[in-house]
Amino acid sequence: MSDISILLVDDETDFVETMTKRFRIRKIDVASASNGPDALNLLEGREFDVAILDVRMPGMDGLELLRRIRAKHPLTEVIMLTGHASLETGMQGMSLGAFDYVLKPADFDDLLDKVRRAAERRALNVRTRHAGG
Amino acid sequence: MSARVTPAADPGRAARELFSRATGARVWRENRLALWLHFLAPPTLAALAAAAAFANPPLAALLAVLVLALSAASARWLMTRLSRAEEAKDSLTDQLIQSQKMAAVGELSAGIAHEINNPIAIIAQEAEWAGHLLAKAEKSDTPDFTELRDSLREIRAQVDRCGGITHKLLDFARRREPVLQDVDVTRLIDDMARLVDKEASYKDVALVRDLPQDLPLLRTDAPLLRQVVLNLMTNALHAVDKGGHITVTTKVDDAHMDIRVADDGCGIPEENMAKLFTPFFTTKAPGQGTGLGLALCHNLVLGMGGVILVSSRPGQGSVFTVRLPRVPGTGAVR
Repeated sequence: MSDISILLVDDETDFVETMTKRFRIRKIDVASASNGPDALNLLEGREFDVAILDVRMPGMDGLELLRRIRAKHPLTEVIMLTGHASLETGMQGMSLGAFDYVLKPADFDDLLDKVRRAAERRALNVRTRHAGG
Repeated sequence: MSARVTPAADPGRAARELFSRATGARVWRENRLALWLHFLAPPTLAALAAAAAFANPPLAALLAVLVLALSAASARWLMTRLSRAEEAKDSLTDQLIQSQKMAAVGELSAGIAHEINNPIAIIAQEAEWAGHLLAKAEKSDTPDFTELRDSLREIRAQVDRCGGITHKLLDFARRREPVLQDVDVTRLIDDMARLVDKEASYKDVALVRDLPQDLPLLRTDAPLLRQVVLNLMTNALHAVDKGGHITVTTKVDDAHMDIRVADDGCGIPEENMAKLFTPFFTTKAPGQGTGLGLALCHNLVLGMGGVILVSSRPGQGSVFTVRLPRVPGTGAVR
């Protein structure tokens, strides 16, 4: 039923592996990267409906990656994942245009629902873009 | 004391309304019967009293008293009407000026932010390059070099700060077309509240969610609403002292949904109420806040077709209510 594609970016490989498996069971197309530059490379090659980004990553952090994705791939919706609730980064993330800001550990079904909503939003944006010319 | 900010979505209509209120045309149209009564009744009775004075003096006296009372009441009614119309005109003018000012500030800020972003980026690059050269330099462990490195680090930090401000400015000025989806508001609020929880517990502040589980879905823009809710809760957290309370509730009727963030913090002094949504207005120390948070919220909520209502009692707390239309596009909430 679903043909949603996700890009999962997190430096914790265990977490990425588990999530990838769980998404694939739901027949969702998942690609993953363990850092920002790799993620941007993947985005150059193909489009994703939704990107799920860890906030705290070595090198380019999740907020910087979010900023770049919003600038270069504005149609890709971004969900931020964070292990530590920080108001400051939460506000930054939302004002940079994240679709949602989710605390780890996230309930999988909850996250899946958010992914579907984000993909729905992308589809709506694509449609208005086509309609508006 | 309360401030109500409503959009002047249709300037033409607003101007017509202003005109009819100022000239009294509206009062005339709506109260034609009452006005005729006010104009005709006292003179008629006065004439009757004069006629009765010839026939029956006591009756004439009674009629005269009646005329007096009626005239007084009539004059009072008209005065009240007049002053109310005057007040309405003033507040409408305020609102018109306010939204024009906001639009102007938005444009200006975007222009400045754009212009300043480039030099800021160059300063950042140069500082980075200088740092790179410094790292390669020989004998770089003398006190002077250490000082130089500190100095460069400070330049970086301040440049980042400038970048933060220009980003907020651009964000403030950006026009967003809301993307409408069915949103579970209860969950949205709870999600955002979880982000605030930890910081609230540091301050020993209780963040209470009094949210119904059977709230109907709201057709609105989820990320924008998240931003507004998060901003209002953060503001509330800054406003309360240790041990304070923040309560988030929702209310729904046929036409609107209200999201209410109430705190028992310091409250807002009356003289600040009118400036609350003005960009750059802040009561925080320099560097602590840009004064764009509430202005941004105001813009976002207007964009969603809603309003933000504020009521506050200094020393007792404030209540911010976001009122959104349940059916989007039904025009601004009044």
